[in-house]
Amino acid sequence: MSKNIVIEPISRIEGHGKVTIMLDDMGKVSDARFHVTQYRGFEKFCEGRPYTEMPSIVERICGICPISHSLASAKACDAVLGVRLPRAAAKIRRLLNCGEFIQSHALSFFHLSSPDLLLGFDSDPSKRNIIGLIQANPDLAKDGIRLRQIGGHIVEWLGKKRVHPAWVVPGGVNEPLSEEHRDMMLAEVPDALAIIQRTLDLFKDSMEKYREEIRTFGNFPSLFMGLVNEQGNWDVTDGLLRVIDAKGHIVADMVDPSKYQDLIGEAVEPFSFLKSPYYKPLGYPDGMYRVGPAARLNVCNGMGSPLADQEWAEFRDLERGPVMSSFHNHYARLIEVLACVELMRSLLNDPEILSPHVRSFAQPNHYEGVGCVEAPRGTLIHHYRVDENGLMTWANLIVATGHNNLAMNRSVLQVAKRFVKGDTVPEGALNRVEAVIRAYDPCLSCSTHALGQMPLHVELVGPDGRLLHEVKRG
Amino acid sequence: MSKRIIVIGYGNPSRSDDGLGWHAAKRLSEEISSSQLEILTLHQLTPDLAEPLSRAARVVFIDASVEGEPATLRFRSVGPGGPPPSAFGHHLTPDTLIALSGVLYGRAPEAFAFSVTGVSFDFGDTLSPGVEAVLPLMIEQVRECLEGGP
Repeated sequence: MSKNIVIEPISRIEGHGKVTIMLDDMGKVSDARFHVTQYRGFEKFCEGRPYTEMPSIVERICGICPISHSLASAKACDAVLGVRLPRAAAKIRRLLNCGEFIQSHALSFFHLSSPDLLLGFDSDPSKRNIIGLIQANPDLAKDGIRLRQIGGHIVEWLGKKRVHPAWVVPGGVNEPLSEEHRDMMLAEVPDALAIIQRTLDLFKDSMEKYREEIRTFGNFPSLFMGLVNEQGNWDVTDGLLRVIDAKGHIVADMVDPSKYQDLIGEAVEPFSFLKSPYYKPLGYPDGMYRVGPAARLNVCNGMGSPLADQEWAEFRDLERGPVMSSFHNHYARLIEVLACVELMRSLLNDPEILSPHVRSFAQPNHYEGVGCVEAPRGTLIHHYRVDENGLMTWANLIVATGHNNLAMNRSVLQVAKRFVKGDTVPEGALNRVEAVIRAYDPCLSCSTHALGQMPLHVELVGPDGRLLHEVKRG
Repeated sequence: MSKRIIVIGYGNPSRSDDGLGWHAAKRLSEEISSSQLEILTLHQLTPDLAEPLSRAARVVFIDASVEGEPATLRFRSVGPGGPPPSAFGHHLTPDTLIALSGVLYGRAPEAFAFSVTGVSFDFGDTLSPGVEAVLPLMIEQVRECLEGGP
């Protein structure tokens, strides 16, 4: 008799999801699905709004990565205006994106994933949390807090608000960077560098412990996509799309993001509100690809800064071709933080960053625009159409978690096949199913949050819908 | 953020009553002016707050709740002796945050939490009439708390 195991909700990710694991008549895992059960409707309800409001509206999609949305949105609006950004504005936007990467990656690595990595996937779930992390390694927890603080300072000092700063605008940014804030940011660089370098050392030293997870956490051939600059190097704010195959061959390169529809198709599955984008030339679902930290390090020729380049070379040495295991998103996140700190230092030492000319003004010159950046979790595309009055008539958003949807489903299946046996789910297996999703750091978007604990709920359901087994933990 | 008293109103201001903390913070900012008071509005509590909170004498959290009768005002002490920390970390509870301040930075401030059970969490930037009606009483109690009570 076939059975279903339902895990709902998935914890330590942004938003709420659910996993269903299907067992066959022999009690073996036959399929698995990752469902996104939230519906937000941003693409629809922004219709009719002035395009100028879009960077502020779309920031509300998320409380963790609002900067990415405002940057992608502003870039789509830049295209509607048809303006060339002042050089200082482009540099300040890059600096802002560095701040977001540092704070978002710090939250993901130190506070969401470190409890698994440091305490072990089979450790007591009541201690496998941030308090348990502090008891085991208070210095690591402090480093995480300090790093997140540094990223937050960049966002706050530029945008005057830590969350949802209405500072990135069509044509540039609202206000130039002050000399005082430039100096304050520069003063944080040594601390950030020291933290990320010792964390990288710690992670690399402990990697051997995770051999089984590396082998089974989304370790399969796929395409990878990310932005690169004109030299093919890592670029998270501007740049052109590159897609590589599982052997590392470039299959699409230097594609202007405005042509994303030549590369990407979007499928919809009835079990999830999350779209399933795919690489168009291979069709659905064979065109499964991955985005995000490891994908970005796979597609680029280098990081473009000395310390991060050394780490990148070591990372790429893990495998002969692209690094396949999604577990290595954790590793890649740390390398990206290092790259961001180096980029931040370089931008802040450039005198042009203080230029007062930070915005270009124009009326809409085009009825359509596409903006694309790399968000911490992967490539983010905003595509807008406006009418002659500049009112939004249509929007399409492809977010990082969407790009990864097919791969996350595949990853959950891989982990479930390895760790779930029989018609109950042991704690360690349950945590690994969650952890493989957390490796992608999916952002199902923060919506209403509530006081109280988020329970983990596992149901074993027979084909007739009858509840066979249930596990809850608070 | 090294003032002696910190008020944190948090929640999602685009989801009606979930924006209670933001509405309360705005009201308090309009009514109280003190160099010893800092009022913050946040979407969620994150670990980086632990360090600045460790330097405060008193912290007041204000948030909407989904538990209990709609439009009910509640008040409680927050701290290591309070409810156990959440097993999950994508946002922190006030208790976990205060515990972090104590364990990592050697000082946990005196802390309190005010909440009102929401009636509507739909899209919108205004409070439901039921929660709006409770807001003045909550502001009064928060002010008493800031002045040294309860």
